Amino acid sequence: MTESTAFAAVAMPSAGARLRRRVFGHKSLVFGASLLAVIVLVALLAPLIAPYDPYAQNLLARTQPPVWYEAGTWAHPLGTDNLGRDYLSRMIYGARISLVIGFSVMVISGLIGTTMGLLAGYFGGTVDLVVTFLVTTRLAMPVILVALAIVAILGGSLLVVVLVLGFLKWDRFAVVMRSATQQVRSQDYVAAAQAAGASTPRILFGEVLPNVFAQLVVVATLEAASAILLEAALSFLGLGVQPPLPSWGLMISEAKAYMFFSFWLIAIPGTALALLILAINLAGDGLRDIVAPEGRE
Amino acid sequence: MRLHTAALLTGLAPMLFAGHPAFADQANNSIRFAYDQAPESIDPYFNNVRIGVIIGQHVWDTLVYRDPSSNEYKGLLAESWERIDDRTLEFKLRQGVTFHNGEAFNADDVVYTLNFVADPENGVTTQQNVAWIDRAEKVDDYTVRVISKEVFPAAIEYLSGPLAIHPNEYYEEVGPEGMDRNPVGTGPFKVVSNEPGKAIVLEKNEAYFEGSPKEQGPIETVDIRIIPDRQTQVAEMLSQGMDFVMHVPKDQAEQMEQVPFLQVVSGETMRIVFMQMNTLENSPAPALKDERVRKAIMHAIDRETIASEIVGAGARVLDVICFPSQTGCDASAAPTYDYDPEKSRALLAEAGYGDGLALDIVAYRERNQTEAIIGYLKAVGIDARLNFLQYAAMREQIRAGEAELTHQTWGSFSVNDVSASTPVYFKFEADDITRNPEVRDLLQKGDTTIEPEARNAAYRDALALIAEHVYGVPLWSLPVYYVATSDLDFTAYPDEMPRFWEMDWKD
Repeated sequence: MTESTAFAAVAMPSAGARLRRRVFGHKSLVFGASLLAVIVLVALLAPLIAPYDPYAQNLLARTQPPVWYEAGTWAHPLGTDNLGRDYLSRMIYGARISLVIGFSVMVISGLIGTTMGLLAGYFGGTVDLVVTFLVTTRLAMPVILVALAIVAILGGSLLVVVLVLGFLKWDRFAVVMRSATQQVRSQDYVAAAQAAGASTPRILFGEVLPNVFAQLVVVATLEAASAILLEAALSFLGLGVQPPLPSWGLMISEAKAYMFFSFWLIAIPGTALALLILAINLAGDGLRDIVAPEGRE
Repeated sequence: MRLHTAALLTGLAPMLFAGHPAFADQANNSIRFAYDQAPESIDPYFNNVRIGVIIGQHVWDTLVYRDPSSNEYKGLLAESWERIDDRTLEFKLRQGVTFHNGEAFNADDVVYTLNFVADPENGVTTQQNVAWIDRAEKVDDYTVRVISKEVFPAAIEYLSGPLAIHPNEYYEEVGPEGMDRNPVGTGPFKVVSNEPGKAIVLEKNEAYFEGSPKEQGPIETVDIRIIPDRQTQVAEMLSQGMDFVMHVPKDQAEQMEQVPFLQVVSGETMRIVFMQMNTLENSPAPALKDERVRKAIMHAIDRETIASEIVGAGARVLDVICFPSQTGCDASAAPTYDYDPEKSRALLAEAGYGDGLALDIVAYRERNQTEAIIGYLKAVGIDARLNFLQYAAMREQIRAGEAELTHQTWGSFSVNDVSASTPVYFKFEADDITRNPEVRDLLQKGDTTIEPEARNAAYRDALALIAEHVYGVPLWSLPVYYVATSDLDFTAYPDEMPRFWEMDWKD
């Protein structure tokens, strides 16, 4: 390595290095992403790190307090629930449920909404009218009410909750993608691609989609977070995932009866839920700052 | 730690609920009573919820009164009675009793009321309470005969429980709806205000007759508030906004016991808890038709531990599906089943479900108990999916034959006779989802035999047959926890009936 190249590298950092600096200089992104990474890791490694089977009940050791209370022990660091199941293990497995729901709902609704938004924004005209009509129809129905009704009819289960939310929450993807695509469509590079004779799919996926990706990421994170909250709400109302699955929302619901005297039973899953949502939102906001052109230095 | 939290809460509670008027208690002899369900109607014949039974016993009287401490029958509206023949009872009525509206009580009231409710066309909610009555006849102004359709040994028990006497002139004029809007009885309390679904206020009946076994105490007003949410009830008790609640879950009751101004009184009740299993021909869970699967479920649940740890003080594990004190509830011939998960797994494997079995379980109350049951079933490889419903919705599912496993409870309307419990679920009535003709015939024999030993033998054999084939899982009896202000002096009876008329203040 000669001196001059080293000098040039310092004076003119590579694109990768600049990106890295932008990412690591963004404090809230770093915080959100690391928190999210930790939660994802915990969820993935659940069988390895959970000290107990989350379903194993021991009625002789019920509602033991967490370790920071006098009566708490290290045998159950977060205590036990009202059936004597280890709370830490249930929290760890509960992370899986929240993430599975957040991610699957984001993918399903993202696919539906993005496709509709891209088509409407790119083609305009009748396609746009149809999509706008569908979005308006969908917006006229409150998500939580429709979800409650469907789950009440079909019965609650993880799959039902994922599908119901997935098929209900595509509206924001469609709206944002539509207006973003409309802006991009009039850009010169799209006109150039059209002039060069590129096929429509090629233009949509090669030119338009990458340029609306920043908005897509933000919507996706927001929707994942809101799907996780909705699942918690449905489970809290007894219409989401069914016991004995350890969903955080369900755990809050089961702990409701204990809130006056054993409030940690509600506080622990509540805090975890808040942290997960915070992590996803911080990571999403940060990503937008990094990717969006106006966010660049 | 618990003490600490309780102290903190009691300190906080008045601040949290500041502005709540606190004018109850000893000073003006009133009790504010919070309950979680509303009766569909105040007329005791047209509801089947506990609060309806409680109001019924306060506002109305029955011909006979069963003393809850000695279980002895005493005359209430009747002064004496005798059996004329197998099917006829003759009652001498008390004189000088008046209804809350001033109408005098006599034989016409008894005859009209019993004939009205016995007519199926009038649609009394719980038919088994009245269906045994053929007719009532007036002998003279203060003598009445009650004739049953068949030999019915438990008649006095029913006449001391659900069969309240209405004033004939008023009831004829206004009917059940009018009786709900403006209730009139002879009881120790009268209804002074009724906001359906919200509040019912009872006031002491100053003109109540002398010599009633329901002796009146100092309580002047009972203000019943319908508060469906258990947490709100707890908050009200902690902030002294309410004086009396019942059916508090064990865990909450034990914690509220730490609060200095509250007392917790608990006792066993006649309410039994059990599981039904759908073994009908078109059962949605064919696995339940296999006796080995049913025995596996029986062996899988640690009833002793659930009863002592979750259900609470006063709960006892049942061997048969009826309450032990009920006449005819004889478990001596019934086989018993221990908690034995190994055996349970072996039985499942033998039946061909070694790799697991998925079943639906429908439940409507005591959800923590259902979840504990689900946990035990999961441990032997049975995945029970919980379907938690309102009682009416669950009953509909069961009666349509769509339920698989159920988590049921039954309070027998506080009738201390087995005819009020086991036959409801095993004598081909609407809720029977096993339907064994042999069981039915034995129960029918018990229901209509008057000779005590033969009657007992018939019930004993029926219960043994049910247990042998595991047509249901007898679980435990349900204790009731009452939480009240610490200066109230009262007794908890096994019939789940708080008696406000006899309550007093501690000095």
